[in-house]
Amino acid sequence: MNKAILSVLGRDRPGIVAAVARVLFDQNCNIENVSQTMLQTEFAGIFVVSLPNHMNADELQRELDSRLAPIGLTVLTKPCAPGDEPCLPAACEPFVITTRGPDRKGLVAHISGVIARHGVNITNLQAMFKGGSAPEDNIMIYEVDVPKAVDLQTLARDLRDKAVDLQLDISIQHRHIFEVLHRI
Amino acid sequence: MLTQREIISTLEMLRNENLDVRTVTLGINLLDCAGSDLGMVRRRIAERLMRLAGQLVPVCDRVGQKYGIPVVNKRIAISPIAAVAAGLAPSELVELARTLDAAAREVNVDFIGGFSALVEKGMARGDRALIAAIPEALAATERVCASVNVASTRAGINMDAVLLMGATIKRAAELTADRDGAACTKLCVFANIPEDIPFMAGAYHGIGEADAVINVGVSGPGVVKKAIDRALGSQPDLDLGGLSELIKQTAYKVTRIGELIGREVAEHLGIPFGVVDLSLAPTPHVGDSVGEIFQSLGLLAIGVPGTTAALALLNDAVKKGGAFASSRVGGLSGAFIPVSEDLNISDSARQGHLCLEKLEAITSVCSVGLDMVAIPGDTSADTLSAIIADEMAIGVINCKTTAARLIPVPGKAPGDHAVFGGLMGESVILPVNNARGNNLFIRRGGLIPAPIHSLKN
Repeated sequence: MNKAILSVLGRDRPGIVAAVARVLFDQNCNIENVSQTMLQTEFAGIFVVSLPNHMNADELQRELDSRLAPIGLTVLTKPCAPGDEPCLPAACEPFVITTRGPDRKGLVAHISGVIARHGVNITNLQAMFKGGSAPEDNIMIYEVDVPKAVDLQTLARDLRDKAVDLQLDISIQHRHIFEVLHRI
Repeated sequence: MLTQREIISTLEMLRNENLDVRTVTLGINLLDCAGSDLGMVRRRIAERLMRLAGQLVPVCDRVGQKYGIPVVNKRIAISPIAAVAAGLAPSELVELARTLDAAAREVNVDFIGGFSALVEKGMARGDRALIAAIPEALAATERVCASVNVASTRAGINMDAVLLMGATIKRAAELTADRDGAACTKLCVFANIPEDIPFMAGAYHGIGEADAVINVGVSGPGVVKKAIDRALGSQPDLDLGGLSELIKQTAYKVTRIGELIGREVAEHLGIPFGVVDLSLAPTPHVGDSVGEIFQSLGLLAIGVPGTTAALALLNDAVKKGGAFASSRVGGLSGAFIPVSEDLNISDSARQGHLCLEKLEAITSVCSVGLDMVAIPGDTSADTLSAIIADEMAIGVINCKTTAARLIPVPGKAPGDHAVFGGLMGESVILPVNNARGNNLFIRRGGLIPAPIHSLKN
């Protein structure tokens, strides 16, 4: 069975998910996963769908464009290669990296660059920059999977060194601590 | 996926509210190191401590770093030395204390507890030798802590031991007169001592315990205070029932962290996990104070009328929240009110809000007793014993732990100031009424029988 992944962008308002889902339903597509988020005023959604046998991703893209463009939504559809497996290292420990400090360009690029250099995968990123120098106004939260082969001490040292350069206050903590504190 | 609020509030607790694990304490059974040859006992004990405790500090640091939660103190609790070294003379026991001190230094723990005797029903030869050795042992060492259990609800109060402890405290203070009697900060007299306290100076490894065990003492007075302040900021008319719920929830969080860290340290060391002690333990720093909680609850200061009720509320809520968060609770589990170790309580005493008699009253609802109380150097040994006897009676009759850690500061009078340094803090000297001379009641000796409600079988 063919699968496709599509992203939907547009100014947030009631009815976006319903509009997308209606097109997919009408085209006999089956939604397997959805994740949506809102950043400031904008909606962003990602759908993984299985396609009927006779349809490919390009045909679905045309159908989605024709019905969603008029209501201001931008869609990008890409076929999923058959047999694609999630790109996950064998054994990982989940950590949370949090930074707070004055806003400037390049914070995400610098910190994620260190994370990438160590072969660590970011599984979730929330960042909020209101600008200015108040630490609580500028926060990055990276949830990452650290492969067991990665030396945590070295990763932590490199992150702290980079944080010092950027005047950021940084924490690197095993994810379990947050779950233990807040969830029964 | 974690929520932003979960992450930010955790970081707040860590950075601004002094959330930490106050102590991870490794209990070590030394009963099979017993013997009557000092050299052999010293060798066996030193080997045992090195073998079991060598990795304690590095493992605690590693686990603390993994979760971003500092383990502030790493400590060792050992079997009561009065039992382990019952065949040794007092002078030999002082030498043994030096061995313990050297071992503690070697493995980098800040205290080793268990220079202890259990004498609630009577004193054996080894117990007498240990008590005789306490003053010099504590004066000659830096990290050794001593405790003597002189009373229990099942046995009553051993008044001979109480009398002896008054003189022992007095002597320990005199031997460290140049340090404001600092030896006494490492000496606790107990009623109903638990076998698994992770906190000093009362920690020892109980006779009923296994070869080794990891016990954890959580902290968190700063977290509780900030939670109360935040709640009252957004909801100024919150009543005491609501505040109790809030303290419960906060104690739950603090305890969960202790349990997590303790279990992981225990797993790394290959040693069973014991208990979490739910005590709110202050340090002499602003924002890490039990005393400040009383002010957040609406009292002028700890010690004013209303204090006992406030502490009862606090202690109960901490236990309820903590008990749900932990699989096994033990130790003292309540709120500590160590005068010199808590900047706010110490200030309250200096300002005259808190007197010895009020302290004694509130020990009926807290987890310990007269803790780190600096009193005049001319307080007689009899008066010290009498204060201890009163405190023990509160524990025995109310089926709870009470303790006395009194420091008769040599050469100092009420209103003077004593400095013990580090975690032990500093304090004004509290006045003691009629502190001089003999006390005939105390000198009668014997046993005060166990209360009628000890007959439960």
